[in-house]
Amino acid sequence: MNKWVSTIAGAALALSVTAAGAQDDVIRIGTEGAYPPWNYTEANGELAGFEIDLANAMCEKMGATCEFVAQDWDGIIPALMNGRYDAIMAGMSITEERRQRINFSQGYVTDPAYFLSEKSSPLQDAETLEELKAAIDGKVVGVQTATIHANFVEQELADTVELRLYDTQENMELDLTSGRIDAALADFAAWKAFMEKDDGSGFDVFGPRLTGAEYPVFGEGVGVGLRKEDTELLERINIALDELKEDGTVTMLSNQYFGYDITMF
Amino acid sequence: MLELFSFGETGWGDQILLGAGMTVIVAILSFLSGVVIGMAGAGAKLSHSAVLRGSADVYTTIVRGVPELLVIYLLFFGMPGAIQAVAGVFGYTGSVQVQPFTVGVLAVGIISGAYSTEVLRGAIQTIPAGQIEAARAVGMHRWLIFRRIMLPQIMRYALPGLGNVWQLTLKDTALISVTGLAELMRQSSVAARSTREPFSFYLVAALLFLVMTTFSTVAFQKAEEYYGRGARRG
Repeated sequence: MNKWVSTIAGAALALSVTAAGAQDDVIRIGTEGAYPPWNYTEANGELAGFEIDLANAMCEKMGATCEFVAQDWDGIIPALMNGRYDAIMAGMSITEERRQRINFSQGYVTDPAYFLSEKSSPLQDAETLEELKAAIDGKVVGVQTATIHANFVEQELADTVELRLYDTQENMELDLTSGRIDAALADFAAWKAFMEKDDGSGFDVFGPRLTGAEYPVFGEGVGVGLRKEDTELLERINIALDELKEDGTVTMLSNQYFGYDITMF
Repeated sequence: MLELFSFGETGWGDQILLGAGMTVIVAILSFLSGVVIGMAGAGAKLSHSAVLRGSADVYTTIVRGVPELLVIYLLFFGMPGAIQAVAGVFGYTGSVQVQPFTVGVLAVGIISGAYSTEVLRGAIQTIPAGQIEAARAVGMHRWLIFRRIMLPQIMRYALPGLGNVWQLTLKDTALISVTGLAELMRQSSVAARSTREPFSFYLVAALLFLVMTTFSTVAFQKAEEYYGRGARRG
């Protein structure tokens, strides 16, 4: 309650405009807060998840304090440019497209992407990308809009499938369960969480393990997004990430939140 | 199911209710600024100055003709840059922040104001010119004419229309969830996606919106009765 009152009072008193002074010991991290297990919101209103723990570990290595700012995915890069926060940690994959506007740290994790369908679907037999392309011809395939998965499907399967775009993973899963789409493409972490639910228990991933190694469209993993001019912060973050990978913190957190290791070495 | 909506550390009840509170605050502030803008806009539309009439026309045409979400995006992403540019002129080079709350109230207020302008203009035009002339003839000043002759009638004619504008404004606040402001829509969406229970949370959000609109409908009915007490019914 106090937090809420002070938020409103703060918003009103700040006369709408505040100058954001660059403080070295506080790093403000922008995240979505609604993308489990990467980053999500607890019932008590606190942010939690893999990236929240990783960011805190990172800031500790840098001798700084992390402050988190929740921001809707659609505005997550513009809000960084506007200075609402200094870094993005929101399961954001490093892509050339995004590189034109912002800088990225080294990738901290890379999650393979998979197609998913009902276990009973004949699609399940496809193993290579060629087999998958043949099997999926004419099917309805879902992806989340403005993701590398959407880019991949548009690039590789645009002529063969009927594409459905979703604003959130959650909405895509709703349509999978109700049978409105035959298959969907997303990263394995998202599918794992889905398959562990009642709604998703009848589904399984199929086809090749899709990563940036074989298919450049999947990029260089997930990294911290930064403003281009903040080169010093970029360097500090890269050093901290090196240390966290080396001492096993990333692996430990990855196992804790994803159930397997997705550290990008 | 119920523990999802309990209060305290383990439930979302408090988050959702506080979100609803934020929605009401944003809606009221937006609506009030909209009425103020609407008064000014209606005055401008009915003024003798072609410049005032023109600018009011441009305002209502643009704001009513562009999707609400777009107005919000333009303000949320455009304002910091614009303020920074102005601040730069005065020699300030630091980064400038705009609070999501302020952007939200401003954006929804501007949208609400465009509709209020038309409602109030219509209401003002229903007042026969003869009444104003008569008031002048008995020596009333402009302010007194406004207060005694015009305002009571404007209220009576404008209230049904303003009631509509209020409903729109209340619902438009859901759009500012894109700025990350913790209002009802944003809180429900965060809860829905974090718990993967979209239906329960969106259903509760819908019910809360219904409660708000139902209460306000009753309030507007009372207000209409009050301002219509001098008029013959039937």
